Amino acid sequence: MPRYGIAIDSTKCIGCHSCRVACQNQNELHFDETFNWIKSKDRGQYPSYGKEFIPLQCNHCENAPCQRVCPTGATYTSKEGVVLVNPKTCVGCKYCMEACPYKMRIIDHRRGIVEKCRLCIELVREGGTPACVTTCPTQVRIFGDLDDPNSAISRFIAQTGAQPLRPDLGTVPKIFYKRS
Amino acid sequence: MDNSGITRRKFIIGSAIGGASLVASNYLNLESWATTEESTQDLKVTPTLCDGCGNWCAIKVYTRGKRIWKAEGIPIAGNNLGRICAKGHGLLHEVYNKDRIKSPLKRTGPNKFEPISWEQAYREIGQRVQEIKKEHGPESFFWLQFPEGNAGLCSRFMNALGSPNVFSHATTCFLPRNIGWWLTIGSAKPEHDLEHTRFAIFLGRNIAAGLRLRALSDLSKAKDRGARFVVVDPRFSELASFAHQYVQIRPGTDLALMLAIANTLIAEKLYQKDFVDKYSQGFDELAQKVKGYTTEWAEQKTGIPRGVIGKLAHDLAESAPQAFIHRGYHGALGTQYKNSLQLVRAVACVNGLLGNFNQRGGMFFHPEVKLGRLDPQKFPKTPELGDSMVDGSGASDRYPITPVGLGLSQAIPELALEGKLKAGFVYHNNPLRTCPNPARVIEGYRKLDLLVSFDYILSETASLAHYILPESYYLERDDVVHTNHCFNSKQVAIRQAVIEPLYDTKPMVVILIELAKSLGIGNYFNFTLEEYNQAALAPFGITLERLKQEGVIDLGGKWEPGPPQFKTPSGKFEFVSSTLQDLNLPAVPEWEEPLVVPDQSDIHSFRLIHGKQAHHTHAKTINQEYLKEISLLNDMTRVWIHPERAKALGIKDGDCMTISNSVGKGRARALVTDGIHRDCVFLPSSYGVYSRNLRTAFGFGISYNDFLPTYFDPVLGHCMSNEIIVRVEKTPA
Repeated sequence: MPRYGIAIDSTKCIGCHSCRVACQNQNELHFDETFNWIKSKDRGQYPSYGKEFIPLQCNHCENAPCQRVCPTGATYTSKEGVVLVNPKTCVGCKYCMEACPYKMRIIDHRRGIVEKCRLCIELVREGGTPACVTTCPTQVRIFGDLDDPNSAISRFIAQTGAQPLRPDLGTVPKIFYKRS
Repeated sequence: MDNSGITRRKFIIGSAIGGASLVASNYLNLESWATTEESTQDLKVTPTLCDGCGNWCAIKVYTRGKRIWKAEGIPIAGNNLGRICAKGHGLLHEVYNKDRIKSPLKRTGPNKFEPISWEQAYREIGQRVQEIKKEHGPESFFWLQFPEGNAGLCSRFMNALGSPNVFSHATTCFLPRNIGWWLTIGSAKPEHDLEHTRFAIFLGRNIAAGLRLRALSDLSKAKDRGARFVVVDPRFSELASFAHQYVQIRPGTDLALMLAIANTLIAEKLYQKDFVDKYSQGFDELAQKVKGYTTEWAEQKTGIPRGVIGKLAHDLAESAPQAFIHRGYHGALGTQYKNSLQLVRAVACVNGLLGNFNQRGGMFFHPEVKLGRLDPQKFPKTPELGDSMVDGSGASDRYPITPVGLGLSQAIPELALEGKLKAGFVYHNNPLRTCPNPARVIEGYRKLDLLVSFDYILSETASLAHYILPESYYLERDDVVHTNHCFNSKQVAIRQAVIEPLYDTKPMVVILIELAKSLGIGNYFNFTLEEYNQAALAPFGITLERLKQEGVIDLGGKWEPGPPQFKTPSGKFEFVSSTLQDLNLPAVPEWEEPLVVPDQSDIHSFRLIHGKQAHHTHAKTINQEYLKEISLLNDMTRVWIHPERAKALGIKDGDCMTISNSVGKGRARALVTDGIHRDCVFLPSSYGVYSRNLRTAFGFGISYNDFLPTYFDPVLGHCMSNEIIVRVEKTPA
């Protein structure tokens, strides 16, 4: 069974927000709901001034704090390693939102539940690739199987030394970043 | 830690709200997953062309029943290679926008509209047109458009009516870029083999916001292969984030940088001698002219250290011919400065010195597809009209090298006030927002005896029109065969309806055919869209059905590097432009000051520059909630200002600033950043919608056009949209 993840090359991100709207459409989200964000960060003064765009989404942690705190077991990790919310058992208590150190969960006001990035798992199971990956004009995201050493993502991580965000938290995310 | 814990109080409140909404959702949205599954059964995929900007990316649109769901790119399409931008995704929702026009409208008073039938609209417009034609002649009519695939038919419509006055947005966008390149190499829009380049400079061109998905995809591949990119811009653009080096330049002085680079390449014999000897003319004159433009001189003008300028020249030479300076679009090379035409010529000349034409990793001319035509019996020639327009485009004594059919759209209000233009058709354009000095534009357009708009929403211009004949939204309409996806091979593509029109609207080609009848020019439109498209495809042995099935078809004819051919008067690459020489204009690139400069002694004085954001096109996408939300969430309407300049004015990040000059006044919040040159403030150009009929966009942000005087550049007549000086101050509390 594959263990899916995404490697993000933030040096290539231009902050166009295509991933955001592609995701919204794929998952039929309202215009003010989103599963991914782009944060921009300034540093330095000209001539060493720089600006970085950092695409953010659920990190699909191996050791997911959101899953641990869920009182109904609605948050679970699928067999492919994707952290999902079962809409039928979620009671919308938002405990998971508080527990997520990355703050990557949102409220679905229409259904009264908590929602989040699903790595487009329905699409992936049909042989597709997550919408945020395929739409990206500069190919910032690489999607694939982290357990396959020959997959593009594994090779990218090996070559660039891409790291997850805040590895010190011990959450063991499956989203990796190359940031310089 | 703060954020990993949860207080008991928060938890209780959280569950209470959650519980309440759960109950509601069970009533309202029972088993929503089940309904989703059911609706996948009537899933349909239709290929078509996006209409978010002028790239017309090829997309596959998924529908569930009658409802549009999502889109994916078509991988072979030369312009987007299977990618879609935020606009492409977001505008799928635009078809359901609450502000859409639902039937033809007649304006009965200020902002008062009455729905009428198509027949009545055609009849009344026909009558008005005949009256005006009789009284003022057909030259008093104009057409203004953002050219679509059907632009040829629109021109045909006007020519049949007897008017040569077909305007586009060129004068507020790209005019000098096109003319400068055309003068030098005989082609207005050379392409770049970005994928195989080793070094490239982007001079005020920000393909990461004035998006070209193809170019970005190629750029990404080139980066992986180790290519280096430099962005030269007064502002740290989105592309600068992607590039390896950012060079901040004083706005309006890019020409000085180019001249110094040309000088360095020549003086140090770093240019491609082979290319220059074999394929160019006028090299000695160029060498003579640029001699004085040293890196020291350019440092004075541009503010870029001489060492950096010299390094750029060396980097270019080292990678040549697999290096280029981007051909530009609306940035410094577009209609922004008085010296833009000279700048484009200088950029072209530096590329000439690099000898990169038709070279791998350099620049090339994209393969062209010549579409078939209806037989002349069905498609009679329109009357021959003069070779100039009412605004002086093409006229030997006014703007001799400004092409007829592009025109100077900012001249329309002036010509209307003078009484030279009496009636107009505005298609896919919104001059009241996208032309300089809106107060003047409104005055001019008000003066027209007849204004017909084909808009799908009540934009500023449509709100002023006498009649609105709503075009179906792009997802609801069939259109003509396109050739815009020819990048490095020959491709044909087509736009087609994904869903039935939601309201009483029609495709533009159908409107043209029907309107032509009531205007007495029906004999020129004696065909159907189907026949027109079939004839277009006939030379390639492709059926219309097949094209509609596949969306894009590649016809082969892939570009390969080889000896370059130039369609200039001399047949060579022209360092000395023979056309400019004949017109007694500076034929070799030389320094020209920008029209205006900020007052260095006044702490309030700034140049106002503008640029695009990747999720917006002009001011036409901000009325879409999905796209506006991105601006709102990321606070993107702010005006960029340098920290030291801001400090002198007592402005802190996020403070409200008042921006004013003789043309207009507006307020915007400050983005204090090191990523902007101290001489200027930067205003994103996608905002400032003032039509109250666009309820999502109204009143959100401001536009640079509110501060831009109505200028006409002396050679081409373009609008010089960065020649704005404004006074910036902190808005009193």
